Amino acid sequence: MGESIDTDFLERDRHERMRRIPWIDLDAVRTARVLVVGAGALGNEVVKDMVLAGFAGISLVDMDHVARSNLTRCVFFREQDSERRRLKAEVVAERAMELDPAVKITPYTDRIQDMPEDFIPSHSMILGCLDNVATRLHLNAHCYNEGIPYIDGAMDGLIGKVQVVLPPETACLQCGMNKTHSKIMELRFSCTGEDVTFYEPKVAAEITTTSIVSAVQVREALKIVSGRAEAVLSNVFYYDGLRNVSETLEVSKNPDCPHHGGQ
Amino acid sequence: MTTRISVKNAETGSSVEMELEAENTVEEIIESAASYWEVSPGAYVLRRGKAVLRGQSTIVEAKIREGDVVELIPDPEGG
Repeated sequence: MGESIDTDFLERDRHERMRRIPWIDLDAVRTARVLVVGAGALGNEVVKDMVLAGFAGISLVDMDHVARSNLTRCVFFREQDSERRRLKAEVVAERAMELDPAVKITPYTDRIQDMPEDFIPSHSMILGCLDNVATRLHLNAHCYNEGIPYIDGAMDGLIGKVQVVLPPETACLQCGMNKTHSKIMELRFSCTGEDVTFYEPKVAAEITTTSIVSAVQVREALKIVSGRAEAVLSNVFYYDGLRNVSETLEVSKNPDCPHHGGQ
Repeated sequence: MTTRISVKNAETGSSVEMELEAENTVEEIIESAASYWEVSPGAYVLRRGKAVLRGQSTIVEAKIREGDVVELIPDPEGG
């Protein structure tokens, strides 16, 4: 009897199509330990994309519970989650692991500022899906000091942006900030509705913008993990959905920034 | 010696002329423009071409020159 060819082998490997993309190091993607901070609109999309792209070790931090207003832009939330006021991080982790049971997503329901000192450094990369400047700066400072790549996503309605911070090469989040950021430092631009304090109600998340911003965050994460640093966004990706414009803006290192003193 | 520039509002497309002194900062331009247009509360940055201008810079340090067009753009912070 001659050798037989198993024609189903391609279908047994769920990542077979990803393996065809030559620049993606799927083994590195599978073994990377990534921290996602924020499980709202951006966090939902980021985790979904990460799991589908092959990331298998994810820590997810968010202290909030699901509100009904989240349901129009958060793929993992359901009506009953808001009725039961379930914690966002736990719901996202539970539902995202249904996409790929081999993935391990560990939810944490404390503020990132309250996590142990060694928590952030135990990850190889951080993705920020936050709704306020203060927490962004907290992550930015820790990542810069620890030399951990940080990919920050943000949006307001049809405007979105992604900034990749690769310490010590690139500018950091703080480099591009000014007094208008200081004024809103502790304010949250969330889509959670009445459960958080608003300075002024803003359209924080709109799902098409959320999808674009989160996709860029995860694509840059894939490049970093796959060792393609030269192809990583070195400035700010800025998207304006109303004008159909996406472009790269240049933020230079600020010598007065505490993370770049003397540079 | 004053420097006259044009500031554009990226959200509305409207423009306003500003007369600046050498010691004026980028942040002062942002705050003046935001106040003039009564823009929504939030973070804003000023760009010239592709470059985001550093808020603390004076117009001399930022190399802002007579006739320059700069643009006020929202810096989103939602997630």
